[in-house]
Amino acid sequence: MSLELKRGFQALANAVADTSFLIDWIRYSKSKLIFKIFDVIYIPESVLAEIRSERSLLWIAEGLEKGGLAVFPELPDISREALNLVSKSRRLPVRPVDYPEAFCLVVGKSLDLVVLTENGGAIALKSYDPEYSSVIVWRGIDVLYALWRAGYVNSFKDELELYQQETKHIYSERDLAKYGDYLK
Amino acid sequence: MSEDVLREWIERFREAREIRKRFANWEFVKKQPPKIRIALEYYIETGDFRTSAKIVGMGVDEFVDMAKDLANIPTVD
Repeated sequence: MSLELKRGFQALANAVADTSFLIDWIRYSKSKLIFKIFDVIYIPESVLAEIRSERSLLWIAEGLEKGGLAVFPELPDISREALNLVSKSRRLPVRPVDYPEAFCLVVGKSLDLVVLTENGGAIALKSYDPEYSSVIVWRGIDVLYALWRAGYVNSFKDELELYQQETKHIYSERDLAKYGDYLK
Repeated sequence: MSEDVLREWIERFREAREIRKRFANWEFVKKQPPKIRIALEYYIETGDFRTSAKIVGMGVDEFVDMAKDLANIPTVD
């Protein structure tokens, strides 16, 4: 699945979001723009279960009501593979993945969904585990880039600054380097 | 996993820890009751919001929001 977007072109796909992504994204004042990019964003039961704040729950409830969000059920095959992934990642000397992020990665791989995460362990896993290298993993910065490419925001640079300010998420120089030409 | 990839991720996580340490409002952190202080310090060191939230018995989003809004700890990685 390719989500390569040209300016002004809108592509809809489905995604699955983990807790780390939702916590940051919901703080962004234009958070609802994400539904312009994705047709349905799935929230696994294990992710939903660990969210408690009123702001997050209201955002999720509204998304569920309008159909932009859907709860992804615990399925035994996916659950089993996610637990294997947790165990495998814990054998390595880098930050491991926890069950909710592992579940999202397995769902992304199995159903060809974009995985929305800000979790370093999950992002790292894609780069070191060949079984997951083809999974499309997007962070907030990638969604902002897609929104800009699709014409929903005017300036990628300004929007990224606003996003970092509102969400208190800091992208490293390495993260920003990926979009260096567009941030000048 | 190749050694280069491993080295890069270890460095990335180290950089993230340094950013959390640099931005944190240490005066606020140090003033907290032991459970909250320990959870915030653990979060600054590891970035592991899930375990930190469990230490204080909060939802993960509640914990991260507290870390951002009151302790000025950004999310980085």
